[in-house]
Amino acid sequence: MSTMTRDQDTRPVTILVAALGGEGGGVLADWLRDVAVAAHLPVQSTSIPGVAQRTGATTYYLEIFPRTETGAPAKRPVFALTPAPGNVDLMVASELVEAGRAMQNGFVSARTTLISSTHRIYATSEKMPMGDGRYDGQRVIDAALELAGNAVLFDMARAAQQAGTVISAVMFGAIAAVLEKTRALPITRAACEAAIRASGKGVEASLRGFSAGYAAGMGAVAESAAPLPATPVPAKIPTDAFHPAARAIVAEGIRRTADYQDDAYATLYIRRLERVAALDRGDGTLTAETARYLALWMSFEDVIRVADLKTRKARFERVRDEVQARPHEPLHIIEFLKPGLDEIAGMLPPSLSRRFHAWAVRRGWAERLSLGMHVKTHSISGFLLLRALAGMRFWRRRTARYADEQALIERWLAAIVAAAPRSQRLAFEIALTARLIKGYSDTHKRGAANFTRIFDTLVEGDAVAGDDARADAIFAAREAALADPEGKNLDATLTRHGIKPRPPREQPIRFVKPALRERG
Amino acid sequence: MERSFKEEIKLLRLKQGDTFHGEGILAVTKALLQSGVSYVGGYQGAPISHLIDVLADARELMDEMGIHFEANASEAGAAAMLAASINYPVRGAVTWKSTVGTNVASDALANLASSGVKGGAVIIIGEDYGEGSSIMQERSHAFAMKSQMWLLDPRPNLPSIVRSVEKAFELSEASNTPVMVELRIRACHVHGAFECKDNRPPAISRLATMTEPAFDYGNIVLPPSSYAQEKHKIEKRWPAAVEFIKRERLNETFAGESLDGQGALTDLGIVLQGGMYNAVIRALQQLGLADAYGASRVPLYVMNVTYPLIPEELTAFCASRKSVLVVEEGQPNYIEDALHAILRRADVQTRLYGKEEAIGVPAGETGVFPMAGEYTGEVMLRALARYFAATGAAGLDTERLAAPQRTADLKKRAAELLGAPVPNRPPGFCVGCPERPVFSAMKLLEREAGSYHVSADIGCHLFSSLPPFNIGNTVLGYGLGLASNSAIGPLFNKRSITVMGDGGFWHNGLSSGVSNAVFNNDDGILVIMKNGYSSATGTQELPSSPHQSQEHRATDMGIERTLAGMGVKWMKVVDNYKVGNTLRVLREAMTTPFNGLKVIVAEGECQLEKQRRLKPVNAEKIKRGERVVRVRYGVDEDTCTGDHSCIRLSGCPSLTIKDSADPLRLDPVAHVNNGCVGCGLCGEVSHAATLCPSFFRAEIVHNAGAWDRFKAKIRAAVIGVLQPA
Repeated sequence: MSTMTRDQDTRPVTILVAALGGEGGGVLADWLRDVAVAAHLPVQSTSIPGVAQRTGATTYYLEIFPRTETGAPAKRPVFALTPAPGNVDLMVASELVEAGRAMQNGFVSARTTLISSTHRIYATSEKMPMGDGRYDGQRVIDAALELAGNAVLFDMARAAQQAGTVISAVMFGAIAAVLEKTRALPITRAACEAAIRASGKGVEASLRGFSAGYAAGMGAVAESAAPLPATPVPAKIPTDAFHPAARAIVAEGIRRTADYQDDAYATLYIRRLERVAALDRGDGTLTAETARYLALWMSFEDVIRVADLKTRKARFERVRDEVQARPHEPLHIIEFLKPGLDEIAGMLPPSLSRRFHAWAVRRGWAERLSLGMHVKTHSISGFLLLRALAGMRFWRRRTARYADEQALIERWLAAIVAAAPRSQRLAFEIALTARLIKGYSDTHKRGAANFTRIFDTLVEGDAVAGDDARADAIFAAREAALADPEGKNLDATLTRHGIKPRPPREQPIRFVKPALRERG
Repeated sequence: MERSFKEEIKLLRLKQGDTFHGEGILAVTKALLQSGVSYVGGYQGAPISHLIDVLADARELMDEMGIHFEANASEAGAAAMLAASINYPVRGAVTWKSTVGTNVASDALANLASSGVKGGAVIIIGEDYGEGSSIMQERSHAFAMKSQMWLLDPRPNLPSIVRSVEKAFELSEASNTPVMVELRIRACHVHGAFECKDNRPPAISRLATMTEPAFDYGNIVLPPSSYAQEKHKIEKRWPAAVEFIKRERLNETFAGESLDGQGALTDLGIVLQGGMYNAVIRALQQLGLADAYGASRVPLYVMNVTYPLIPEELTAFCASRKSVLVVEEGQPNYIEDALHAILRRADVQTRLYGKEEAIGVPAGETGVFPMAGEYTGEVMLRALARYFAATGAAGLDTERLAAPQRTADLKKRAAELLGAPVPNRPPGFCVGCPERPVFSAMKLLEREAGSYHVSADIGCHLFSSLPPFNIGNTVLGYGLGLASNSAIGPLFNKRSITVMGDGGFWHNGLSSGVSNAVFNNDDGILVIMKNGYSSATGTQELPSSPHQSQEHRATDMGIERTLAGMGVKWMKVVDNYKVGNTLRVLREAMTTPFNGLKVIVAEGECQLEKQRRLKPVNAEKIKRGERVVRVRYGVDEDTCTGDHSCIRLSGCPSLTIKDSADPLRLDPVAHVNNGCVGCGLCGEVSHAATLCPSFFRAEIVHNAGAWDRFKAKIRAAVIGVLQPA
């Protein structure tokens, strides 16, 4: 729409709307069509809802002829039913990656005004990995600024939420602004608002959303994500001994470990970190990342920690805010807790813990000891139960879980310390393997098993020769383990270094299949 | 039903001189009423669901006109309904999603086509092909050819579509043959306008019934009638159809025109399916060869009837030209091949351009279109540019002919800028869907027991084959899941599981699946997703739906009673959302020594339908000041470690991720957004799979009573004293 060509006035204005199922894309198409019909502009719209309305990506396509109807039926314009790449005047996306998809399909060119929301709704494939599988949205914004003749990018989800309406109303406002500004069609803001009023449902909220979208469309400024403000280091926490690049993380680590246990525990954190920091010959990244994972690991989530975090005031307030409960409305919070044999045994001293665990497994109690509980934290009894558990903090250093975690932490630190003088990169990659230690119960076990496996074979084992090759192998193995926690990818990655895959797990269930002679 | 058509019904009452503004498939409905149909039926499915839905909502109008309407149990039932037009001069129409629906209907259709019809019998085919399709990519064309039914493929604008439907009845009666009217996805959903006629009440109807049945052995498909019927098709019906199509000018020829002082390109021509017309015109516009109103420098022969072909018209169009381009979407390219044969018989030497991989045609020599796939705007533009480049028509704008190259460059640049392809976003289970928990349980069973074969079926539940579940090894057809498992089960050392929806159960699963399995003493496991509706197609009612509309109030067709009646001995009913229990029952089915079909009825009402029912009720209650407890779930970001195992067992759209507020954690944490409907699956899964303690249920009490407020006050006071910051 940026260039006025000779055939501009005899060509339909093409509008492609990309939305997700349930976002009101159909309503938006209806509004646009109604506005065109009211203005006596020939119009056609199509869509391919199919099953895409079940949360999938879908599109709506409209063509509006810029000249009013002549009345002669033979002189009606012929509209296309499918958008053609390079031939879209107005591309509207309700979500950032959908704008990316439109560009990928060639629907955003120099003649296109792109209106897109900058918020993200993550696809299942982005949510599934154990680490961070999110698509880099900044790439879409950069691409939009280069490819589109004009780009209107803003957070429509926020605008819609503030207006108390759905995103389609905001999109409509932005479209109206762009059409008015570029004079592509004789359509006015008043006519668009009239279409909303005529539709008769949630009119006031829709009008507020429309207004927000209109303002953004008129501003036509690209909005880029603001960088997170750096957390200042509190003066009283002693981090001066560490590389400046690591200090913010170290400070948080000290705060976290003290909050988790006590000051002595925070001192242990500092002592441990110093061993690595002394060997950091680079830009402080090794120290920073070790500080990060050491703090997270040392504040491992045992029953005591979980009970403590669940009963804090800040948490109650956060929940109230998150579920949009108003201050005067009673709020009930019910926890889904299921401590199992591992959690119970983990609270006992190491020797007793091992015997108890073995005994329980022998008796076949592993399942029975897994107690699903619905704890009402908002009730006095539920709250007191959790506070009592949180009060077990004094006992923590005697528990088997504590002993196990500290042993593994020492093993990890020793490997970093051993590697750092030879290869900073290798040390860094070893430090990052701690990212696999996360989750609870089976997830935690699988993560720890993957961690141990990488340690046995690549870190402490001699499967790969040469520090660089070893660092590469550890990197690849870690990424594989994060992408697929079940460990199939990890096995495939390790197999490349001649490491045998693990034998298949034993299956506790016996499948009964009648013998042939019994059948029929 | 997902959509109410109370507004659209008014469109069906429009009179002569009124202008209809609306969707293509609703225009078809209006055309049926204008054609004087006595009966209408069909089976829902995109892209024709709205036709069924609007008729279901238009009972009153249908009753006034005496028209019989039936939401058939399957496409086979719908096709069989056309039998009314064999002996009696009544018009009738049925509709379904094709090719799948036509597959199911083809037994009845073949018999119908053999007998021939007296009254006009029309089948509205929603051709689910190309973008937005949810089925295998095939053409309905072959069905027309094999049974010798006629196939209309009108230009995709409302006046053309409406005229085609009206003419289809006349053609059917003129040639004693059923007629199919094919509409592609976008044509079904296209919004446009046409000038209405008055509705025509049928002469024979529920208000004016017949008294004497007609008997004619010639209409029975048995020898010797069947031999005579085949001859009649060739000797009488086909020539009559050709004659009618010519006389009524159902196909359209557009001679080339001069544009901007440049003459018509009469050496060239395009033969196209009616449904392709708008795409062809748009490509011609982009190449500077047509104006906005469709005036084209290149002559066009538009086949609004794609079967039978009219040899005289085709040879007349082609004879004077050096070359002609055939625009035929889908494969095999029946029309292109037939046109080759027609021209050869007539000894016309015009060169044909068409599919690039046509058998026997050297690649790149005469082919311009891809053999497979939809003719999108992009494909059409590239093919037409290739045709004009190959034929070297003088005076063509080379700048414009380079448009496809510019498109390719644009996409290449976009790919470079984006770095990696954007993530796919296929359709999936809705927020709170009751089918999701069953697959969570199946995933957990797989964890303890290793993988097992799952025979899937058609319906929303087939989304299980997508991430995060990836459950479902084969899918064979609607209601055919259990039957498709019948040879798989015996060949495994452990049991396999079949998943079927209640829609599939009533469509075909009952007869082809359950009766077959019980009869053959099949040892399989059948999970029936009883969500109460035909959900994937728009939550239409089923015989076992919990909330029946007025017409079906009296029916009580429970799945469990039906199964018991059929001799199913092992049957358990589970509440889907109780994942632990569902897992236990699945485990039991896998391990029980019972030899025979084991059925698990997984109960949970379609959440779309449930929310549609409950939301207004709750909103109204809150408004009136009544106590309402709103439930939703959440994840504690303090305790969430960002391992996302909950997501891998759920995939709920409202269970998503966000940046962690913890400066130490780089990986995003799980997060429940405000789309949550409080189904409780995430909490149940975290229990059943012993995932993590991060999930909580929040109950927000709206319009709290005095007792609520008193309790909250006491609790706040006590907890406030003991609570750390």
